[in-house]
Amino acid sequence: MFPVYLAYCIKNPVGCIAVFITLLPLILIIYRKAYIDPSFKLLLLYLVFKLIIDVIMFHTAAMHQNNLLYFNIAIPFYYSFLSGMFYFKFSSVAFKRILIASMIGFLVFTVWDILKSNAQLHDLHNHRAVLFAKTVEGVLIIALVLLFFYEIIKSLQIPNLLTFPFFWVCSGLLLYYSSFIFIAPVFHYTATWNNSVDLGIANTIPTVFEILCALLFSIGIYHFSPANYAKQ
Amino acid sequence: MQNSEELKWALLVASLAMLTMAFCMISFVMYYQKRRFEEEKKINDIEKNYNRLLLDTALNSEETERRRIAQDLHDDIGTMLSLTKLSLNQLSKMTGSERSEKEDQIMRKSQSLVEETILHVRRITRDLVPTTLERFGLLEAIEEFIHKLAEDNNLTISFHADMEEFPRQAQKLELTLYRIMQELVNNAIKHANCTRIEIRLEIKEELIGLRVTDNGIGFDPEKMKESSMAGLGLLGIESRLAILNGTVLYEKPEKGGASAFAQIPVMPVAEVKLEPLHPFRRERVNV
Repeated sequence: MFPVYLAYCIKNPVGCIAVFITLLPLILIIYRKAYIDPSFKLLLLYLVFKLIIDVIMFHTAAMHQNNLLYFNIAIPFYYSFLSGMFYFKFSSVAFKRILIASMIGFLVFTVWDILKSNAQLHDLHNHRAVLFAKTVEGVLIIALVLLFFYEIIKSLQIPNLLTFPFFWVCSGLLLYYSSFIFIAPVFHYTATWNNSVDLGIANTIPTVFEILCALLFSIGIYHFSPANYAKQ
Repeated sequence: MQNSEELKWALLVASLAMLTMAFCMISFVMYYQKRRFEEEKKINDIEKNYNRLLLDTALNSEETERRRIAQDLHDDIGTMLSLTKLSLNQLSKMTGSERSEKEDQIMRKSQSLVEETILHVRRITRDLVPTTLERFGLLEAIEEFIHKLAEDNNLTISFHADMEEFPRQAQKLELTLYRIMQELVNNAIKHANCTRIEIRLEIKEELIGLRVTDNGIGFDPEKMKESSMAGLGLLGIESRLAILNGTVLYEKPEKGGASAFAQIPVMPVAEVKLEPLHPFRRERVNV
């Protein structure tokens, strides 16, 4: 089994780094005890879930099996965990209500998109990526990040953004989803088992920014101090 | 095949454009936040300076008013009382042998009342304007103040300065320290039920420290400030100190009582020439 994984890593090094770099912020959250903040607790759950999905996808990819089902299934979970983080950060009650509504709405929408994109759901070998859900997820997360930026500018409660952990998390998410937003719908047409189209560097950009996102998460978590948590 | 290439390029350009926007957004938020904080800080500084100026002006006005009242008391009422005393003395001499015993008693009582009133007016004028402070400095003024207090009360008041020749400071600083000392000592007498008050004056490098300690019942400064009227004196002390970048620290000594320690950065005056000035000459307090 190990030679198969090794061969896959050599063939696709950037993708493999993106899978295992998740361990860095995950370990840091535990080491820095950042999970005492509800937002970072959700980030921990997101990272654990992401690592599990990525490892499963890594395994199935190494075994030359279609793994897009996991990609599709993970979308509403990713959105729920990430938007849940913002739930604890927003001060506006209206934003919080919209956020909960969007989680439920997005779950329904993703299920509909999976069913629409895959008329024959039992045919896992020819399973295809969703057409809209990943892009909508990106749009929603970017909107949440921008709303959060608006709130911090308006409230003027954070004197130095560079030492504010959640700012780094937001920056990571903004960059990752910005890099993925145009490429996500194209996957529906290009990532097919029998007739795949190589997007070249465009395919690598989101993976590179996924790594950058994990690094930015790590910087944010590194700045987290349990002693100062109550003051934030 | 050509379509595939075009798609790749289109995706690349779109993604890069989106990423550029994301980078710009993050940079903008950081820059804007920093700028707003700087502006906020500037506004706060301006407000702080303005408040300090207002406070300074109010205290200056208070001192000027005290001086005016002292001058009026000394020049007008004081002079009139002296003339009244003289007239009474003359009248007493003129009617010395003709007065009955009853009239003689009334005359002596009137003379004694006038003399007492003259003494009261002198005391009030001295309290209003500490002329000793202006002429001879803080050490002498504090010594004079505690000497007078010790005469009137059953109190042991001690005063120590950490140097014999205390260098003269700016008038504003000396007046501030004197008024604070007055307030703290008066508070101790009025509210602390104390039998002993200790005043210490010290210069440490760039700071002048004034410590007033009593052996009374002690107090909680925070609770005192919360009650609107009782905390006025303490707030007044803090306001006076704020103008000169000074601080005050209230402590509860282990052996009981209360201790207040005020510190102000030194403001020495090069050479103060003692002029034979009129004690209450009419001029604006130059603080």
